[in-house]
Amino acid sequence: MNIRNSIFALLVCVFAASSIASSGLEGQPAPDFALKSASGVNLRLSEYRGDVVMINFWATWCGPCRQEMPLLDELYARYQRVGFNLLGVNIDDDSRRAMKMIDELGVSFPVLFDARKEVSKLYEVEAMPVTVLVDRDGRVRHVHHGYKPGYEEKYLDQIRSLLRE
Amino acid sequence: MTKTFISLAAIAILAVSISVAAQDAVPINADAAMAEAMSAEASESESRDQFRSLDQDVQTLKKEVLDLNRDLFLLEEELLFPANSQVAFFISMDVGEYFELDSVNIKIDGKEVANYLYTSREADALIRGGVHRVHMANLKTGDHELIAIFTGKGPHVRDYRRGATITFDKGIGAKYLELEITDRVRKQQPEFVIKEWE
Repeated sequence: MNIRNSIFALLVCVFAASSIASSGLEGQPAPDFALKSASGVNLRLSEYRGDVVMINFWATWCGPCRQEMPLLDELYARYQRVGFNLLGVNIDDDSRRAMKMIDELGVSFPVLFDARKEVSKLYEVEAMPVTVLVDRDGRVRHVHHGYKPGYEEKYLDQIRSLLRE
Repeated sequence: MTKTFISLAAIAILAVSISVAAQDAVPINADAAMAEAMSAEASESESRDQFRSLDQDVQTLKKEVLDLNRDLFLLEEELLFPANSQVAFFISMDVGEYFELDSVNIKIDGKEVANYLYTSREADALIRGGVHRVHMANLKTGDHELIAIFTGKGPHVRDYRRGATITFDKGIGAKYLELEITDRVRKQQPEFVIKEWE
């Protein structure tokens, strides 16, 4: 009886872990959006069809975002010429603070402003940061909630594998 | 001696009968093989026919699914946007020398219904003669007020924001409104015009 109970508990844990790890968006077409970028031009996700796109939702008040962004910028600088794009979506109410942080960090990837939180709602952003990987066909393939040191290795593997497809 | 003779005779008769039986058996075996071959051929052609009919069934089913999908799509469109109450808004641009389009905000009867940001590619497509359906809605018959706010860069690359408004009468049947951005060369300014398609 005890063994049966422990197997049941194990199964429940496995199911719970898998449901946390997977996102409802994975495998679905990435919701399209257009936002104003820090450079002043409007950028639309669907115009990047054919490229692997990483969408990184971040905010100035988020410590892990500050840690993660320079690492993402390295990935962007390395793989941009082979069809990889990175869109940083800032969700602050005041874009000036975001601009200041971009200057401080010196990141080169395009940063977009979602002050109305419309895009973050579309992507069910409930944690900070959230990193979404979209394949060449415009489908959401991987969603990462939060950031811990070492995640960049995971991103690297996934980007390389999506670029090979 | 007699016994021996009888047994020899019996053996001889048996041998003869066996050889006759064997001679008879050859044509029987050939017939059976032929019959077997014919039946195999028949069963093969039957299975081929069955396969063909299965393939036809699959094709028919596929066609039915496609038809059903089309019907569902049309039904959904009719239900969501019934032709009688349908109103569509289009954006077009003529020349665009004095205005670089950034976004269009549309309000109907004071309520915001669309806010569309144009990328440089989309704006370029409009300048090249493209028409963009920016919003589709269902409205009751009667008078409605449309306010369109255009933002972008005006003459001398200055931030530019202009509104255009129209009160239109929604009768029975679909209605199409075109929000046109043109250049007023004499004033060197952009012009925003709302036109009703007949």
